[in-house]
Amino acid sequence: MNMSKTIAALATPPGSSGIAVIRISGPEAVNIADVHFAGRKSLAEAASHTIHYGKFIANGAIVDTITASIFLAPNSYTGENVVEISSHGSIVVYEEILRNLLSSGASMAKPGEFTERAFLNGKMDLIQAEAVADLISSVSIFSEHASARQVSGEFTSRIKEFKQRLIDIASLLELELDFAEEDLEFISQQKIKQDIELNYDFIQSLIDSYQASQITRSGYYVALVGFPNTGKSTLFNSLLKRERAIVSHIPGTTRDYLEEFLYLNGIPVKLFDTAGLRDSDDIIEIEGIKLVNSILNQANMICILNDASVSENLSNNLYNKLSKEYSSKKIIIVQNKMDLYTGNDLPEDQIKISAKFGNDLTSLTAFIESEARKSTERINDILLNQRQYLILQDVKSLLMNSISSIDDEMDNSFIAFDIRNAIRKLGEFTGEIYSEDILNNIFTKFCIGK
Amino acid sequence: MFHVEHVFNIMAENKRNNYDIIVIGGGHAGIEASYISNKMGMNVALITMNKNTIGAPSCNPSIGGTAKGHLVKEIDALGGIMPRIADDAGIQFKILNISKGPAVWSPRAQIDKDLYPVVALNYLLKEEKLTIIEETIDELLLVSGRVAGVVLKSGETIHSKAVIITAGTFLRGVMWTGLESNKGGRFGEPSADKLSIQLKDAGFQLDRLKTGTPPRVHKDSIDYTKLKLHPGDDKPAPFSIHTESVINQVMCYATDTNLQVHSILQEGFEASPMFTGLIGGTGPRYCPSIEDKVNRFSDKSSHKIVLEPEGLNTDSVYVNGFSTSLPKETQLKGLHKIKGLENSEIIRFGYAIEYDFFNPYQLKLTLETKNIEGLYYAGQINGTSGYEEAAAQGLMAGINAALQIRNSEPFILKRNEAYIGVMIDDLVNKEHQEPYRVFTSLAEYRLLLRVDNVYDRLSEYAFKFGTINLETYEHLRLKRDYRELAILHSKNTKLKPAAVNPYLSEIGESEIIDTSDVYSLTKRGPVKLSELLKFVENNELFDNIKLDEELINNIQIDIKYEGYIQRQLKEVDYFLQNENKVIPENFDYGKLQSLSTEALNKLSKIRPGSLGQASRIQGISATDISILSLFLRGG
Repeated sequence: MNMSKTIAALATPPGSSGIAVIRISGPEAVNIADVHFAGRKSLAEAASHTIHYGKFIANGAIVDTITASIFLAPNSYTGENVVEISSHGSIVVYEEILRNLLSSGASMAKPGEFTERAFLNGKMDLIQAEAVADLISSVSIFSEHASARQVSGEFTSRIKEFKQRLIDIASLLELELDFAEEDLEFISQQKIKQDIELNYDFIQSLIDSYQASQITRSGYYVALVGFPNTGKSTLFNSLLKRERAIVSHIPGTTRDYLEEFLYLNGIPVKLFDTAGLRDSDDIIEIEGIKLVNSILNQANMICILNDASVSENLSNNLYNKLSKEYSSKKIIIVQNKMDLYTGNDLPEDQIKISAKFGNDLTSLTAFIESEARKSTERINDILLNQRQYLILQDVKSLLMNSISSIDDEMDNSFIAFDIRNAIRKLGEFTGEIYSEDILNNIFTKFCIGK
Repeated sequence: MFHVEHVFNIMAENKRNNYDIIVIGGGHAGIEASYISNKMGMNVALITMNKNTIGAPSCNPSIGGTAKGHLVKEIDALGGIMPRIADDAGIQFKILNISKGPAVWSPRAQIDKDLYPVVALNYLLKEEKLTIIEETIDELLLVSGRVAGVVLKSGETIHSKAVIITAGTFLRGVMWTGLESNKGGRFGEPSADKLSIQLKDAGFQLDRLKTGTPPRVHKDSIDYTKLKLHPGDDKPAPFSIHTESVINQVMCYATDTNLQVHSILQEGFEASPMFTGLIGGTGPRYCPSIEDKVNRFSDKSSHKIVLEPEGLNTDSVYVNGFSTSLPKETQLKGLHKIKGLENSEIIRFGYAIEYDFFNPYQLKLTLETKNIEGLYYAGQINGTSGYEEAAAQGLMAGINAALQIRNSEPFILKRNEAYIGVMIDDLVNKEHQEPYRVFTSLAEYRLLLRVDNVYDRLSEYAFKFGTINLETYEHLRLKRDYRELAILHSKNTKLKPAAVNPYLSEIGESEIIDTSDVYSLTKRGPVKLSELLKFVENNELFDNIKLDEELINNIQIDIKYEGYIQRQLKEVDYFLQNENKVIPENFDYGKLQSLSTEALNKLSKIRPGSLGQASRIQGISATDISILSLFLRGG
């Protein structure tokens, strides 16, 4: 870590786009940009928080017309001098600009280094930095709001209250242990149990809200499964309205799996197209089928596509099997190829479509949207990330341990053991206690340029 | 002119003024420091004002107690002497907290205060390379940042490679009874002002603390018929593995204060040096004076008092729980309202003592001072209260001074290894507004730091240092091996329902239907391993150890609490991750511009050796530690 260095990186996602932003931060940011900037005046003369139109020059030639935004220390994202160069979003252009900045004295920024500097310069605390990381990887409006709440710090106060309640219990337990000579009982075990059970519910509700928040953070996961050639890829494409999956009539064409985002009235849905489920001697396809299980584990909804033209009951066994194995998930049968269906004994409550012709697709999308909305209802004012979720899982099992210690008539030293740990864990949760995990979570999650 | 008394061994004239280690002060820390470093082959001079007051218990007539008992056992495991002195001078023995979990079982003993110094002196006199010198130190001899010896009041210079100061309350001590004050350390002894001033001039930060002691009453003036008995254990156990057995020779008695007593004491508050602000030092929150207790817990109508005889041949009885510095007449009037003490006669009034201590952030974890090489501080001088805390520090300073002279690695106990480690880590890293004493709640890994496994935890070290002999070591190792093997055996030893069911139903446990192993039966709440072993036949291991009651109890602890112990061991792994992240000794904190000013000051002052230690420094936030961690990773 050398903060005397000036760093630079692309701040917008890599690839071609409308514009690209290259961010430079450090003591030499303005001077380095000036080497290549040709405008009405030099950037060194520019005031903070101003934008300047000009040309980016390298070796006497114009690379692109750009704007340069100036933020001078300490009033910038990183707390250092920052220049943000907006160029046209072609890969060739921004790579050329970046290469020139590096050869003029800037160093390539490491992933998360801008935010790391912001933290080191006291521009934000760790929980805020973590929220920034979450914000970057968030995919919906929901979670942007929630991450913004975390940035404001309001989020930790409830956890701190809870921690304080546990500290009160622990103090009473410790008094009794250390002042045994005084023959005092400061708190009864039953009272402790009551208090813990009260807090236990609170923790459980936070854990529940994580499951829900996962959806706003990463999307509602819908897996399309079914026997080969039931039209999974066709449906996948119809829903995305473009040819993403390779469609053929040969069973087993989708050997790997495909995933894409779909926005249903602002709700992000991640759609997975999977290989057909069957026993196959084709080795590559078997690999694909193994992958199906891992997708089903992540999925919120499993959508079994049935080829109604063959038989309306073909997938019933599959439905029963999956219902048993993935009991916590929403599992439905969708009857496909209705354009070729001639029978008339289909169950009322099943969704019936023709993926190929796009018939009745809205009944399916409306159903997915309503399920996705239902499962986000449990979100309260707090959104957790995975690190925090794992801590709460630990806290929950520690509290369970302490209750079973009480039930087993164990002594206070054993009850205190779990409660003290829970307090420590909650301190790591709020960032009051140093934890390596926070740093790892924050600074490995970032992409370069943030 | 010279008052160097050669008590036991007559040193050759030319060697007289040259030692490996000089220990200043003959309190509990001084005894331990000189004894242990002598055991490690050092030539040691113990300099004290009066050899007959070596180890004189200036306050309570007891050793051990909650957490303090753990320290005494740790001293025993490391080869120290306090446990043996306490056994020899002990007159009533008791394990505290026996109704609670094994982590908080703590041994405690009443001691004969007259006998204790005699026993202590005798142990020291038996050591060949340990010389006791009765003198007062005027100053330290310093040569280019290193301690080189001491200059006595007589003007004589004694050279050494290391000096351990264990001067306790003798540094600028002032005693208070009501508004009367006297200079002095212990009652009737002078305090060492000159050394105190020299150290202050050398840049050591001095702060002031106070501690108190209760009145002593005449044993014949107590009405015992009105008191509750407070006996020792039926089977009294010694502190030390080197002691064969001990016996209870006295009875203690319990009584209580009442509201009448409290209101009398309150009348004396205006003449209390504490309430009037005459005493600047901060007093202990946890061993509070009776006026403190009355003042702070005003809703409580009584406080427990235990009457403890101060010895076998003394009339003096210690009024435990009544520590005070109120005026004499208030003390007397208050005591006379306590049941059983209506006609009591005070032999010595309670008093408070105010004294200097060196803020221990100035020490390394070895107890060597950071700015003078070879100089160590141990005991009350570091702001601790209690004989046991003092002795444990003396032991560690003695071992480390000897190791340094031997050019060996320093000896630092981690928080997961011993209460000694917890204490020294706390002393160096925390701020101290009151005298420090150990508590079980200070130990994060309390379930691992038990009395029953103290030798398993520490005897390897002791053997390595040469402070326990091969015979003792092998004896301890055999027990540890038995303990480990017994768990395996208990899993493989089956008991039939017919054999074990009568016992189970007798203690109200559900009977077994199929054969069950000893291990899972022992895990059941009230089941005793010793009882189960009565049904075990033809198992060589169990036959060998069946009669060793203590060992069987220890194995039972291992089995019953195995789950908790395993979980705590996992936490230790996590804890050690940061302990093992080393901060280079000359790390320049100045380059971490983003640190808070407080963190910058404290880190530069304390200079922690690891990220883990840094995280325990009081006033350093998680953010500061994260900054440090990011820098240590190299960004």
